[in-house]
Amino acid sequence: MEAAVLYNVPHEIPWKVYIPLYFYFTGLSAGSFILSTLSTVFGIKRFKPMALPAAIISLVLLLLAPACLILDLNQPLRFWHTLVPEYFNRTSALSYGSWLLTFYPLANLIYIYFIFVKNDHITKILGTITVPLAIFVHAYTGFAFALVRARAWWHSALMPGYFLTSALLSGIALLLVVALIMDRYRREKLEPELYKSLRLMMIGILLVDLFWSGSFWLTLLVSTADGYASIMYALHEKSYVWGEFVTGMFVPLVILVLPWTREKKSWLCLASLLIIGGVFLMRYSVVFIGFAIPLS
Amino acid sequence: MSSTSETTKGMPTANGKQENVSSSDSSERVEARPKRWGMIIDQRRCIACHSCTIACKSENNVPLGYWRSWIKGIQKGRFPNVGNFYLRRLCNQCDVPPCVQVCPVQATVKREEDGVVVMYYGKCIGCGMCIAACPYDARFFNPFRSTADKCDFCVSRIDNGLKPACVEACVSRALVFGDLNDPSSEISQKLASVATSVIKPELGTKPKVYYIEADHSLKGRIIFSDDFKEGILEYHRHIPSPDASYWKKGEER
Repeated sequence: MEAAVLYNVPHEIPWKVYIPLYFYFTGLSAGSFILSTLSTVFGIKRFKPMALPAAIISLVLLLLAPACLILDLNQPLRFWHTLVPEYFNRTSALSYGSWLLTFYPLANLIYIYFIFVKNDHITKILGTITVPLAIFVHAYTGFAFALVRARAWWHSALMPGYFLTSALLSGIALLLVVALIMDRYRREKLEPELYKSLRLMMIGILLVDLFWSGSFWLTLLVSTADGYASIMYALHEKSYVWGEFVTGMFVPLVILVLPWTREKKSWLCLASLLIIGGVFLMRYSVVFIGFAIPLS
Repeated sequence: MSSTSETTKGMPTANGKQENVSSSDSSERVEARPKRWGMIIDQRRCIACHSCTIACKSENNVPLGYWRSWIKGIQKGRFPNVGNFYLRRLCNQCDVPPCVQVCPVQATVKREEDGVVVMYYGKCIGCGMCIAACPYDARFFNPFRSTADKCDFCVSRIDNGLKPACVEACVSRALVFGDLNDPSSEISQKLASVATSVIKPELGTKPKVYYIEADHSLKGRIIFSDDFKEGILEYHRHIPSPDASYWKKGEER
Protein backbone atom coordinates (compact mmCIF):
# COMPACT_ATOMS: atom_id res chain seq x y z
CA MET A 1 0.00 0.00 0.00
CA GLU A 2 1.32 3.41 -0.94
CA ALA A 3 1.48 5.91 1.86
CA ALA A 4 2.79 9.43 2.17
CA VAL A 5 3.28 11.45 5.33
CA LEU A 6 1.14 14.57 5.18
CA TYR A 7 2.62 16.12 8.24
CA ASN A 8 4.56 15.11 11.30
CA VAL A 9 6.74 16.72 13.94
CA PRO A 10 10.39 15.70 13.90
CA HIS A 11 12.48 17.13 16.70
CA GLU A 12 15.87 18.65 16.06
CA ILE A 13 19.08 16.69 16.59
CA PRO A 14 20.14 17.38 20.18
CA TRP A 15 23.90 17.01 19.65
CA LYS A 16 26.39 19.16 17.81
CA VAL A 17 29.80 18.30 16.40
CA TYR A 18 31.33 18.52 19.91
CA ILE A 19 30.05 15.05 20.72
CA PRO A 20 31.97 13.17 17.97
CA LEU A 21 34.94 15.43 18.77
CA TYR A 22 34.70 14.36 22.39
CA PHE A 23 34.65 10.67 21.46
CA TYR A 24 37.57 11.31 19.19
CA PHE A 25 39.65 13.01 21.88
CA THR A 26 38.96 10.41 24.57
CA GLY A 27 39.75 7.71 22.02
CA LEU A 28 43.05 9.32 21.08
CA SER A 29 43.81 9.81 24.75
CA ALA A 30 43.04 6.22 25.76
CA GLY A 31 45.02 4.89 22.78
CA SER A 32 48.05 7.03 23.59
CA PHE A 33 47.92 6.07 27.23
CA ILE A 34 47.80 2.35 26.52
CA LEU A 35 50.76 2.79 24.16
CA SER A 36 52.62 4.62 26.91
CA THR A 37 52.11 1.73 29.32
CA LEU A 38 53.57 -0.79 26.85
CA SER A 39 57.06 -0.01 28.16
CA THR A 40 56.26 1.00 31.74
CA VAL A 41 53.82 -1.80 32.61
CA PHE A 42 54.30 -4.54 30.05
CA GLY A 43 58.06 -4.03 29.85
CA ILE A 44 58.51 -3.80 26.07
CA LYS A 45 61.76 -1.82 26.09
CA ARG A 46 61.56 -0.56 22.51
CA PHE A 47 58.64 1.73 23.40
CA LYS A 48 60.57 3.32 26.24
CA PRO A 49 61.25 6.67 24.47
CA MET A 50 57.54 7.00 23.70
CA ALA A 51 56.29 6.54 27.29
CA LEU A 52 56.52 10.18 28.41
CA PRO A 53 55.33 11.94 25.22
CA ALA A 54 52.45 9.47 24.88
CA ALA A 55 51.34 10.07 28.47
CA ILE A 56 51.56 13.85 28.08
CA ILE A 57 49.54 13.76 24.82
CA SER A 58 46.97 11.60 26.54
CA LEU A 59 46.64 14.11 29.40
CA VAL A 60 46.32 17.13 27.10
CA LEU A 61 43.64 15.40 25.03
CA LEU A 62 41.84 14.46 28.21
CA LEU A 63 41.61 18.11 29.17
CA LEU A 64 40.11 18.91 25.75
CA ALA A 65 37.59 16.05 25.85
CA PRO A 66 35.45 17.09 28.85
CA ALA A 67 35.62 20.68 27.58
CA CYS A 68 33.89 19.48 24.41
CA LEU A 69 31.27 17.67 26.49
CA ILE A 70 30.56 20.73 28.61
CA LEU A 71 30.38 22.95 25.51
CA ASP A 72 27.68 20.70 24.11
CA LEU A 73 25.50 20.94 27.22
CA ASN A 74 22.53 23.26 26.99
CA GLN A 75 23.14 24.13 30.64
CA PRO A 76 26.97 24.17 30.79
CA LEU A 77 27.09 25.67 34.29
CA ARG A 78 25.26 22.64 35.67
CA PHE A 79 27.92 20.13 34.57
CA TRP A 80 28.75 19.45 38.23
CA HIS A 81 25.34 17.79 38.66
CA THR A 82 26.89 14.67 37.11
CA LEU A 83 29.29 14.45 40.08
CA VAL A 84 26.69 14.78 42.83
CA PRO A 85 26.46 11.29 44.41
CA GLU A 86 22.76 11.79 45.14
CA TYR A 87 22.02 12.31 41.45
CA PHE A 88 23.99 9.23 40.33
CA ASN A 89 21.94 7.01 38.03
CA ARG A 90 23.24 3.45 38.10
CA THR A 91 21.65 2.52 34.78
CA SER A 92 23.20 5.45 32.92
CA ALA A 93 26.54 5.01 31.17
CA LEU A 94 27.01 8.76 31.30
CA SER A 95 26.89 8.76 35.11
CA TYR A 96 29.78 6.30 35.28
CA GLY A 97 31.54 8.19 32.50
CA SER A 98 31.57 11.50 34.30
CA TRP A 99 33.25 9.90 37.33
CA LEU A 100 35.75 8.12 35.09
CA LEU A 101 36.49 11.40 33.34
CA THR A 102 37.25 12.93 36.73
CA PHE A 103 39.52 10.21 38.09
CA TYR A 104 41.35 9.23 34.93
CA PRO A 105 43.11 12.60 34.29
CA LEU A 106 44.16 12.73 37.96
CA ALA A 107 45.63 9.22 37.80
CA ASN A 108 47.23 10.14 34.50
CA LEU A 109 48.85 13.24 36.01
CA ILE A 110 50.38 11.27 38.90
CA TYR A 111 51.58 8.63 36.45
CA ILE A 112 53.29 11.31 34.31
CA TYR A 113 55.01 12.72 37.39
CA PHE A 114 56.55 9.35 38.22
CA ILE A 115 57.73 8.76 34.64
CA PHE A 116 59.25 12.22 34.78
CA VAL A 117 61.22 11.50 37.97
CA LYS A 118 62.16 8.08 36.47
CA ASN A 119 60.80 6.00 39.35
CA ASP A 120 60.14 2.82 37.37
CA HIS A 121 58.68 0.77 40.20
CA ILE A 122 55.95 3.22 41.20
CA THR A 123 55.31 4.01 37.53
CA LYS A 124 54.57 0.35 36.92
CA ILE A 125 52.13 0.15 39.84
CA LEU A 126 50.38 3.37 38.83
CA GLY A 127 50.27 2.33 35.17
CA THR A 128 48.69 -1.00 36.11
CA ILE A 129 45.97 0.83 38.02
CA THR A 130 45.38 3.40 35.29
CA VAL A 131 45.20 1.01 32.28
CA PRO A 132 41.73 -0.31 33.25
CA LEU A 133 40.62 3.29 33.81
CA ALA A 134 41.84 4.21 30.32
CA ILE A 135 40.00 1.24 28.83
CA PHE A 136 36.78 1.98 30.72
CA VAL A 137 36.87 5.70 29.97
CA HIS A 138 36.60 4.86 26.34
CA ALA A 139 34.50 1.70 26.55
CA TYR A 140 31.80 3.61 28.45
CA THR A 141 31.24 5.83 25.41
CA GLY A 142 30.60 2.66 23.43
CA PHE A 143 28.11 1.56 26.09
CA ALA A 144 26.43 4.96 26.02
CA PHE A 145 25.47 4.10 22.45
CA ALA A 146 24.98 0.36 22.83
CA LEU A 147 22.44 0.88 25.63
CA VAL A 148 20.14 3.06 23.50
CA ARG A 149 17.47 0.68 22.29
CA ALA A 150 15.73 3.33 20.22
CA ARG A 151 18.30 3.50 17.44
CA ALA A 152 19.28 0.34 15.58
CA TRP A 153 22.49 1.93 14.34
CA TRP A 154 23.75 2.25 17.93
CA HIS A 155 22.06 -0.64 19.70
CA SER A 156 24.74 -3.23 19.11
CA ALA A 157 26.87 -5.35 21.42
CA LEU A 158 29.85 -4.73 19.14
CA MET A 159 29.83 -0.99 19.81
CA PRO A 160 32.13 -0.87 22.90
CA GLY A 161 34.66 -3.17 21.23
CA TYR A 162 34.57 -1.16 18.03
CA PHE A 163 35.10 2.05 19.97
CA LEU A 164 38.04 0.56 21.86
CA THR A 165 39.87 -0.78 18.83
CA SER A 166 39.44 2.42 16.85
CA ALA A 167 40.64 4.34 19.92
CA LEU A 168 43.81 2.23 19.95
CA LEU A 169 44.17 2.69 16.20
CA SER A 170 43.97 6.47 16.34
CA GLY A 171 46.29 6.53 19.38
CA ILE A 172 48.95 4.51 17.59
CA ALA A 173 48.65 6.59 14.43
CA LEU A 174 49.03 9.81 16.42
CA LEU A 175 52.04 8.42 18.26
CA LEU A 176 53.65 7.39 14.98
CA VAL A 177 53.38 10.97 13.73
CA VAL A 178 54.82 12.21 17.05
CA ALA A 179 57.66 9.67 16.78
CA LEU A 180 58.49 10.90 13.28
CA ILE A 181 58.61 14.49 14.53
CA MET A 182 60.77 13.46 17.51
CA ASP A 183 63.11 11.58 15.21
CA ARG A 184 63.59 14.66 13.13
CA TYR A 185 64.33 17.12 15.92
CA ARG A 186 65.96 15.00 18.63
CA ARG A 187 69.63 14.19 18.81
CA GLU A 188 69.35 10.49 19.65
CA LYS A 189 67.44 8.64 16.93
CA LEU A 190 64.63 6.15 17.55
CA GLU A 191 65.32 2.59 16.47
CA PRO A 192 63.63 1.45 13.23
CA GLU A 193 62.23 -1.56 15.10
CA LEU A 194 59.82 0.84 16.85
CA TYR A 195 58.28 1.87 13.54
CA LYS A 196 57.96 -1.74 12.49
CA SER A 197 56.06 -2.73 15.61
CA LEU A 198 53.82 0.35 15.43
CA ARG A 199 53.09 -0.47 11.79
CA LEU A 200 52.27 -4.11 12.52
CA MET A 201 49.97 -3.06 15.38
CA MET A 202 48.16 -0.65 13.07
CA ILE A 203 47.66 -3.34 10.42
CA GLY A 204 46.31 -5.77 13.00
CA ILE A 205 43.87 -3.27 14.49
CA LEU A 206 42.77 -2.03 11.06
CA LEU A 207 41.85 -5.61 10.19
CA VAL A 208 39.92 -5.97 13.45
CA ASP A 209 38.10 -2.70 12.71
CA LEU A 210 37.20 -3.92 9.24
CA PHE A 211 35.90 -7.12 10.79
CA TRP A 212 33.67 -5.13 13.17
CA SER A 213 32.37 -3.04 10.26
CA GLY A 214 31.64 -6.12 8.18
CA SER A 215 29.74 -7.65 11.09
CA PHE A 216 27.73 -4.43 11.45
CA TRP A 217 26.83 -4.38 7.78
CA LEU A 218 25.78 -8.00 7.63
CA THR A 219 23.66 -7.91 10.77
CA LEU A 220 22.03 -4.58 9.89
CA LEU A 221 21.18 -5.69 6.36
CA VAL A 222 18.95 -8.46 7.77
CA SER A 223 17.80 -6.42 10.77
CA THR A 224 14.55 -4.56 11.51
CA ALA A 225 13.24 -1.79 9.23
CA ASP A 226 15.25 0.71 11.26
CA GLY A 227 18.48 -1.26 11.01
CA TYR A 228 18.05 -1.79 7.29
CA ALA A 229 17.28 1.90 6.81
CA SER A 230 20.40 2.93 8.73
CA ILE A 231 22.77 0.71 6.77
CA MET A 232 21.20 1.79 3.48
CA TYR A 233 21.48 5.40 4.53
CA ALA A 234 25.11 4.87 5.57
CA LEU A 235 26.00 3.25 2.25
CA HIS A 236 24.53 6.26 0.45
CA GLU A 237 26.58 8.66 2.58
CA LYS A 238 29.79 9.75 0.86
CA SER A 239 31.66 10.64 4.06
CA TYR A 240 30.96 7.15 5.36
CA VAL A 241 31.95 5.10 2.32
CA TRP A 242 34.62 7.26 0.72
CA GLY A 243 35.81 9.12 3.82
CA GLU A 244 35.72 6.56 6.57
CA PHE A 245 36.31 3.36 4.66
CA VAL A 246 38.23 4.12 1.49
CA THR A 247 40.54 6.93 2.61
CA GLY A 248 40.40 6.16 6.33
CA MET A 249 40.92 2.40 6.25
CA PHE A 250 41.66 0.82 2.87
CA VAL A 251 44.24 3.32 1.58
CA PRO A 252 46.26 3.32 4.86
CA LEU A 253 46.04 -0.48 4.96
CA VAL A 254 47.46 -0.72 1.43
CA ILE A 255 50.22 1.78 2.27
CA LEU A 256 51.15 -0.13 5.43
CA VAL A 257 51.19 -3.51 3.68
CA LEU A 258 52.85 -2.82 0.32
CA PRO A 259 56.64 -3.47 0.51
CA TRP A 260 57.64 -0.37 -1.48
CA THR A 261 55.68 2.11 0.66
CA ARG A 262 55.83 0.61 4.14
CA GLU A 263 59.56 1.33 4.71
CA LYS A 264 59.41 5.02 3.76
CA LYS A 265 58.71 7.41 6.61
CA SER A 266 56.75 9.87 4.45
CA TRP A 267 54.31 7.13 3.44
CA LEU A 268 54.00 5.98 7.05
CA CYS A 269 53.22 9.56 8.06
CA LEU A 270 50.58 9.86 5.33
CA ALA A 271 48.96 6.57 6.36
CA SER A 272 48.88 7.68 10.01
CA LEU A 273 47.31 11.02 9.14
CA LEU A 274 44.67 9.28 7.00
CA ILE A 275 43.89 6.93 9.88
CA ILE A 276 43.59 9.84 12.32
CA GLY A 277 41.11 11.51 9.96
CA GLY A 278 39.26 8.26 9.29
CA VAL A 279 38.71 7.57 12.99
CA PHE A 280 37.17 11.02 13.41
CA LEU A 281 34.81 10.29 10.52
CA MET A 282 33.94 6.99 12.19
CA ARG A 283 32.89 8.83 15.37
CA TYR A 284 31.00 11.35 13.29
CA SER A 285 29.09 8.76 11.31
CA VAL A 286 28.26 6.69 14.39
CA VAL A 287 26.64 9.72 16.00
CA PHE A 288 24.91 11.39 13.08
CA ILE A 289 23.80 8.44 10.95
CA GLY A 290 22.09 7.28 14.13
CA PHE A 291 20.14 10.54 14.18
CA ALA A 292 19.44 10.48 10.43
CA ILE A 293 16.82 7.76 10.74
CA PRO A 294 13.50 9.27 11.83
CA LEU A 295 11.81 7.58 14.77
CA SER A 296 8.24 8.81 14.53
CA MET B 1 1.14 14.50 45.98
CA SER B 2 1.56 14.17 49.73
CA SER B 3 -1.80 12.45 50.19
CA THR B 4 -1.04 9.81 47.55
CA SER B 5 2.38 9.07 49.02
CA GLU B 6 0.80 8.64 52.45
CA THR B 7 -1.72 6.20 51.14
CA THR B 8 0.94 4.22 49.23
CA LYS B 9 2.98 4.08 52.42
CA GLY B 10 0.09 2.60 54.35
CA MET B 11 -0.69 0.10 51.62
CA PRO B 12 1.48 -2.92 52.49
CA THR B 13 0.38 -3.17 56.11
CA ALA B 14 -2.45 -5.56 56.87
CA ASN B 15 -4.23 -2.92 58.97
CA GLY B 16 -4.46 -0.48 56.13
CA LYS B 17 -5.87 -3.08 53.79
CA GLN B 18 -8.52 -4.17 56.22
CA GLU B 19 -9.58 -0.62 56.82
CA ASN B 20 -10.00 -0.04 53.13
CA VAL B 21 -12.04 -3.17 52.64
CA SER B 22 -14.30 -2.44 55.58
CA SER B 23 -15.02 1.12 54.50
CA SER B 24 -18.21 1.31 52.53
CA ASP B 25 -17.13 4.28 50.37
CA SER B 26 -15.86 2.82 47.11
CA SER B 27 -13.94 5.94 46.06
CA GLU B 28 -11.80 5.70 49.20
CA ARG B 29 -10.93 2.10 48.39
CA VAL B 30 -9.80 3.13 44.95
CA GLU B 31 -7.62 5.92 46.30
CA ALA B 32 -5.78 3.56 48.61
CA ARG B 33 -4.08 1.84 45.66
CA PRO B 34 -1.20 3.60 43.90
CA LYS B 35 -2.42 5.29 40.78
CA ARG B 36 -1.16 4.35 37.33
CA TRP B 37 -2.22 7.00 34.91
CA GLY B 38 -2.75 5.93 31.33
CA MET B 39 -4.43 7.17 28.20
CA ILE B 40 -6.41 5.62 25.40
CA ILE B 41 -6.51 7.37 22.06
CA ASP B 42 -9.57 6.22 20.14
CA GLN B 43 -8.70 6.69 16.48
CA ARG B 44 -12.29 5.83 15.51
CA ARG B 45 -13.46 9.00 17.17
CA CYS B 46 -10.52 11.30 16.35
CA ILE B 47 -11.41 13.86 13.70
CA ALA B 48 -7.88 15.35 13.53
CA CYS B 49 -9.04 18.81 14.62
CA HIS B 50 -5.72 19.45 16.43
CA SER B 51 -7.51 20.76 19.54
CA CYS B 52 -5.27 18.59 21.72
CA THR B 53 -2.16 20.08 20.11
CA ILE B 54 -3.36 23.63 20.71
CA ALA B 55 -4.54 22.91 24.26
CA CYS B 56 -1.18 21.34 25.05
CA LYS B 57 0.74 24.29 23.71
CA SER B 58 -1.25 26.87 25.62
CA GLU B 59 -1.41 24.86 28.85
CA ASN B 60 2.31 24.13 28.97
CA ASN B 61 3.57 27.29 27.25
CA VAL B 62 5.47 25.31 24.62
CA PRO B 63 7.58 27.67 22.45
CA LEU B 64 6.78 28.25 18.80
CA GLY B 65 8.24 25.57 16.57
CA TYR B 66 8.17 22.90 19.30
CA TRP B 67 5.50 20.43 20.29
CA ARG B 68 4.92 18.26 23.35
CA SER B 69 2.12 16.50 21.52
CA TRP B 70 1.13 16.62 17.93
CA ILE B 71 -0.80 14.78 15.24
CA LYS B 72 0.83 12.80 12.51
CA GLY B 73 -1.09 12.68 9.26
CA ILE B 74 -0.67 10.12 6.53
CA GLN B 75 -2.35 9.53 3.21
CA LYS B 76 -2.78 5.99 1.94
CA GLY B 77 -3.61 4.60 -1.43
CA ARG B 78 -3.79 6.06 -4.91
CA PHE B 79 -6.49 8.34 -6.33
CA PRO B 80 -9.47 7.80 -6.33
CA ASN B 81 -9.10 5.20 -3.60
CA VAL B 82 -7.37 7.23 -0.93
CA GLY B 83 -7.78 7.69 2.77
CA ASN B 84 -6.35 10.14 5.26
CA PHE B 85 -5.27 8.72 8.58
CA TYR B 86 -4.17 10.51 11.73
CA LEU B 87 -2.26 9.50 14.79
CA ARG B 88 -2.25 11.54 17.94
CA ARG B 89 1.32 11.51 19.30
CA LEU B 90 2.60 12.31 22.77
CA CYS B 91 5.00 10.94 25.34
CA ASN B 92 4.09 7.29 25.76
CA GLN B 93 4.77 7.34 29.53
CA CYS B 94 6.60 4.03 29.31
CA ASP B 95 6.66 1.66 32.25
CA VAL B 96 10.30 0.93 31.31
CA PRO B 97 11.34 4.40 30.15
CA PRO B 98 14.56 4.51 28.09
CA CYS B 99 14.96 8.22 28.90
CA VAL B 100 15.06 7.54 32.64
CA GLN B 101 17.57 4.78 32.02
CA VAL B 102 20.09 7.07 30.30
CA CYS B 103 19.74 10.33 32.26
CA PRO B 104 23.08 10.93 34.05
CA VAL B 105 21.62 13.18 36.78
CA GLN B 106 18.16 11.66 37.45
CA ALA B 107 16.56 14.78 36.05
CA THR B 108 13.82 12.65 34.53
CA VAL B 109 12.22 9.97 36.69
CA LYS B 110 9.17 7.75 36.73
CA ARG B 111 7.13 8.85 39.72
CA GLU B 112 6.43 5.98 42.06
CA GLU B 113 3.01 7.23 43.13
CA ASP B 114 1.44 7.30 39.65
CA GLY B 115 3.94 6.03 37.08
CA VAL B 116 4.14 9.33 35.20
CA VAL B 117 7.56 10.11 33.72
CA VAL B 118 8.33 13.69 34.77
CA MET B 119 11.17 16.13 34.21
CA TYR B 120 12.96 18.02 36.98
CA TYR B 121 14.00 21.06 35.01
CA GLY B 122 16.31 22.37 37.72
CA LYS B 123 18.43 19.24 37.67
CA CYS B 124 18.64 18.81 33.89
CA ILE B 125 22.07 19.63 32.46
CA GLY B 126 20.86 19.58 28.87
CA CYS B 127 23.11 16.79 27.61
CA GLY B 128 20.48 15.55 25.16
CA MET B 129 20.99 11.87 25.95
CA CYS B 130 17.29 11.36 26.76
CA ILE B 131 16.31 13.02 23.47
CA ALA B 132 18.61 10.64 21.63
CA ALA B 133 17.32 7.63 23.57
CA CYS B 134 13.55 8.20 23.25
CA PRO B 135 12.22 5.68 20.70
CA TYR B 136 9.14 7.86 20.11
CA ASP B 137 10.92 11.15 19.41
CA ALA B 138 8.72 12.69 22.10
CA ARG B 139 11.47 14.82 23.69
CA PHE B 140 13.02 18.09 22.62
CA PHE B 141 15.14 20.94 23.89
CA ASN B 142 13.00 23.76 25.19
CA PRO B 143 14.80 26.93 24.00
CA PHE B 144 13.45 29.01 26.90
CA ARG B 145 14.37 26.61 29.65
CA SER B 146 17.49 25.30 27.87
CA THR B 147 16.64 21.86 29.18
CA ALA B 148 15.00 18.76 27.79
CA ASP B 149 11.22 18.91 27.80
CA LYS B 150 8.36 16.55 27.10
CA CYS B 151 4.73 15.73 27.74
CA ASP B 152 4.12 14.80 31.39
CA PHE B 153 0.33 14.24 31.29
CA CYS B 154 0.10 17.83 32.65
CA VAL B 155 1.37 16.85 36.12
CA SER B 156 0.31 20.11 37.68
CA ARG B 157 -3.27 19.39 36.56
CA ILE B 158 -3.48 15.70 37.43
CA ASP B 159 -1.94 16.31 40.86
CA ASN B 160 -4.86 18.64 41.53
CA GLY B 161 -7.50 16.21 40.38
CA LEU B 162 -7.97 17.59 36.88
CA LYS B 163 -7.55 15.79 33.59
CA PRO B 164 -4.72 16.68 31.16
CA ALA B 165 -5.46 19.71 28.98
CA CYS B 166 -5.67 17.67 25.77
CA VAL B 167 -8.31 15.35 27.26
CA GLU B 168 -10.40 18.31 28.38
CA ALA B 169 -10.09 19.91 24.97
CA CYS B 170 -10.95 16.87 22.84
CA VAL B 171 -14.20 17.58 20.98
CA SER B 172 -15.14 13.99 20.22
CA ARG B 173 -14.05 12.30 23.47
CA ALA B 174 -11.43 10.37 21.57
CA LEU B 175 -9.01 10.71 24.48
CA VAL B 176 -9.70 8.66 27.57
CA PHE B 177 -7.56 9.36 30.59
CA GLY B 178 -7.69 7.43 33.81
CA ASP B 179 -6.24 5.09 36.38
CA LEU B 180 -5.11 1.75 34.96
CA ASN B 181 -5.04 0.24 38.47
CA ASP B 182 -8.72 0.99 39.03
CA PRO B 183 -10.79 -1.76 37.38
CA SER B 184 -13.92 0.38 37.38
CA SER B 185 -12.39 3.33 35.55
CA GLU B 186 -13.45 4.05 31.99
CA ILE B 187 -9.96 3.39 30.65
CA SER B 188 -9.69 -0.03 32.31
CA GLN B 189 -13.10 -1.07 31.04
CA LYS B 190 -12.26 0.06 27.54
CA LEU B 191 -8.87 -1.68 27.61
CA ALA B 192 -10.58 -4.88 28.67
CA SER B 193 -13.25 -4.77 25.99
CA VAL B 194 -11.63 -3.23 22.89
CA ALA B 195 -8.61 -4.32 20.86
CA THR B 196 -5.81 -1.83 21.51
CA SER B 197 -2.22 -1.48 20.43
CA VAL B 198 0.84 0.49 21.46
CA ILE B 199 3.64 2.01 19.38
CA LYS B 200 6.81 -0.10 19.04
CA PRO B 201 5.86 -2.86 21.50
CA GLU B 202 8.92 -4.85 20.40
CA LEU B 203 11.24 -2.47 22.28
CA GLY B 204 9.83 -3.60 25.61
CA THR B 205 9.18 -0.07 26.85
CA LYS B 206 5.59 -0.97 27.87
CA PRO B 207 3.86 2.30 26.95
CA LYS B 208 0.85 3.47 28.94
CA VAL B 209 -0.63 5.26 25.94
CA TYR B 210 -2.88 2.87 24.03
CA TYR B 211 -4.39 3.30 20.59
CA ILE B 212 -7.66 1.94 19.24
CA GLU B 213 -7.65 1.23 15.53
CA ALA B 214 -4.39 3.00 14.76
CA ASP B 215 -3.16 2.30 11.23
CA HIS B 216 0.06 0.29 11.13
CA SER B 217 1.64 2.58 8.55
CA LEU B 218 1.14 5.53 10.88
CA LYS B 219 3.09 3.88 13.64
CA GLY B 220 6.12 3.22 11.48
CA ARG B 221 9.43 4.94 11.85
CA ILE B 222 10.05 5.70 8.23
CA ILE B 223 7.94 6.55 5.25
CA PHE B 224 6.00 3.50 4.14
CA SER B 225 7.54 3.12 0.75
CA ASP B 226 9.55 0.45 -1.03
CA ASP B 227 11.73 2.98 -2.81
CA PHE B 228 14.62 3.73 -0.51
CA LYS B 229 15.49 7.08 -2.04
CA GLU B 230 11.96 8.38 -1.78
CA GLY B 231 11.59 6.94 1.67
CA ILE B 232 14.52 7.71 3.87
CA LEU B 233 16.62 10.17 1.92
CA GLU B 234 13.69 12.46 1.21
CA TYR B 235 12.37 12.23 4.73
CA HIS B 236 15.75 12.93 6.18
CA ARG B 237 15.78 16.41 4.63
CA HIS B 238 12.89 17.33 6.89
CA ILE B 239 14.76 16.57 10.08
CA PRO B 240 15.91 19.96 11.28
CA SER B 241 19.59 20.31 12.02
CA PRO B 242 20.73 22.28 15.08
CA ASP B 243 22.21 24.96 12.82
CA ALA B 244 19.06 25.56 10.80
CA SER B 245 17.83 28.92 12.03
CA TYR B 246 14.41 28.72 10.41
CA TRP B 247 13.49 25.94 12.78
CA LYS B 248 14.22 27.87 15.95
CA LYS B 249 11.29 30.19 15.70
CA GLY B 250 10.97 30.16 19.46
CA GLU B 251 14.24 32.00 19.90
CA GLU B 252 13.25 34.92 17.75
CA ARG B 253 10.52 35.99 20.09
